[in-house]
Amino acid sequence: MYNANPYDVIPAVIYEIIEESPTIRTLRLRPESPISFKTGQFVELTIPNIGEGPFTPSSSHYITEEMDITIMKTGFVTEYVHKARVGDTVGLRGPYGKGYPIEEWKDKNILIMGGGVGMAPTRSLFLTLLHDIDDYNSITFLAGARAPKEVIYKQHIDEWRKHDKVNFLRAVDKIPEGERWSEEVCLITKLLEKIDIDPKDNPVIVCGPPVMMKFGTLDLLEYGYADKDIYLSMEKKMYCGFGQCRHCVMGKYYACKDGPVFTYDMIKNEENIWE
Amino acid sequence: MIVKIQDFYSFLHRCQKDCLGGFKSVILPKKSQHSDDDLFFTTLSEDNDYFLDSYRTVDPIRMLFYFPREIVLPAKKSKCKRLIVGAKGCDLRALEVLDKALINDDFVDPIYNFWRENTYIISSDCMTISPSCHCNLLDGKPYAEEGFDLNLSRMDDSYYITVGSSKGEELLLLIKEHVTVSKVSPNNINSIKANRKLVEEKLRKQNKQYERTENYYDLRSVDIEKWIEASKSCIGCGGCTNICPTCYCMILNDETVTKDFVKVRSYDSCQLHGYARVAGGDTPRPKMYQRFRNRYLCKFDYMKSNFNLLGCTGCGRCIDTCPGKIEFRKVVQKMLELPRKRVSSSGMKIQESENV
Repeated sequence: MYNANPYDVIPAVIYEIIEESPTIRTLRLRPESPISFKTGQFVELTIPNIGEGPFTPSSSHYITEEMDITIMKTGFVTEYVHKARVGDTVGLRGPYGKGYPIEEWKDKNILIMGGGVGMAPTRSLFLTLLHDIDDYNSITFLAGARAPKEVIYKQHIDEWRKHDKVNFLRAVDKIPEGERWSEEVCLITKLLEKIDIDPKDNPVIVCGPPVMMKFGTLDLLEYGYADKDIYLSMEKKMYCGFGQCRHCVMGKYYACKDGPVFTYDMIKNEENIWE
Repeated sequence: MIVKIQDFYSFLHRCQKDCLGGFKSVILPKKSQHSDDDLFFTTLSEDNDYFLDSYRTVDPIRMLFYFPREIVLPAKKSKCKRLIVGAKGCDLRALEVLDKALINDDFVDPIYNFWRENTYIISSDCMTISPSCHCNLLDGKPYAEEGFDLNLSRMDDSYYITVGSSKGEELLLLIKEHVTVSKVSPNNINSIKANRKLVEEKLRKQNKQYERTENYYDLRSVDIEKWIEASKSCIGCGGCTNICPTCYCMILNDETVTKDFVKVRSYDSCQLHGYARVAGGDTPRPKMYQRFRNRYLCKFDYMKSNFNLLGCTGCGRCIDTCPGKIEFRKVVQKMLELPRKRVSSSGMKIQESENV
């Protein structure tokens, strides 16, 4: 351990880019050496000479030679992510954090809520669960986006819906003029009214913008989910990934090394959780 | 063991000049050119204008182990054995915090770890105190109790040497090899104890007005209005965190220009607006009082849960450096006064005042 440099970066080549929406794209990467991770863990992606940011892979953790990362254009580094081209080399560090405790979810009815680009980490979880679908009782995926053109992973949806044990509901907040949508039009939290899952001892995984996390959690509590069964992905500034830089501290926890996935039970009394 | 001050300095000079014990440099506190009250760590030179027995330096010892800007990838491997002399108890307690933060099961900072391994530390008792010194409010002493390799206690024209580690034993052998040492007498010990008591008494007197409860966990539930009031003259410069011996927040920048990745880390400060800002521009602490509060909570609450150590050693540097004249001791004391407002049990914070 003393010889390994914790800041070491693995170069990765972009072999394909999928434009998911006007502001969201998926980089398909081939790292120089395979990167093993557990779904829900994150990596630090470097754009050389620009900077680095924390992202959760959106591919299954059973695939280690390639990695998909879905990224929204929203800040300095991500602007350059959106300028990157096929054949460019980026850097990867990690994986960091704890990941989803999927081994505890055998035979459960699993509910996943992914809002906007929050679908990215939950897609990794979903694909990993699909790989062992016999181990689980059912998977319900609630996906939300602001408008039809911002719905991501459109090309996969039919295939995902083919599985008997999968119930995949999608909603958009509104349909702007000129756009078409044949599924639900409501806030993602309203989709809870359309499903019928016993909340007792079943896990629900939430990932999305802070406002959705906050109100989603309140709705889930009302629905009957226990604090310990609500898994939240915390969005914080994570420079290092291993608890050194302290930017992601939430009271006694580090979002990077203790998270980024926490149960509501763990963090409900900590500082700065929704902001 | 007792060594004459003159002999001790000649030993230090030989360490640096002749590489005794393999030491390449000797670092110790020197008076600033601008003020007699300010001491800075400096590499030993011929002028002998050094003060081992005064209070702590302006620059925390952290700055000798964890530099303001440093290339961490690729990590440079240097071979340099150093001797730091005149470290103070408060700074050694701070190193304990940094050791837990930077050398642990999840992560070892290669550069910090290198300097920790290759530095020998000789501490010295404080014979005077600065008006901002308040280690006694944090259960500290004006002399090092642990964390040193050797410790010096001043007696007239000599130092009484205490060994604190196996590195210290090695160092003492080296000293004995090159300069004359004599045995200690019970009288010597008594005079050291009396000196220490005297300084402790000074500290107690100086800080009596700032005494407080030690229920630091209560800081979380202090009424937000009190933080707003206390932070009124804070300009958010980050001076307090830059000079704090236990602050180690950093940012990591990418400075890659060829195909080899280069990462550079620099100090950061939770007092700055952009500190915790995420992509898209949101920050959990947009207001000054929130960042001000964060520093106190980090020191007395978060670090306590992370490392089982307080993040404040009472060195008082933040008081000296503050352009807003914020008296840290007074703020802590005030915050721990009753009554307090509780955070609601659902974990949702009570609505905070927005017009600040």
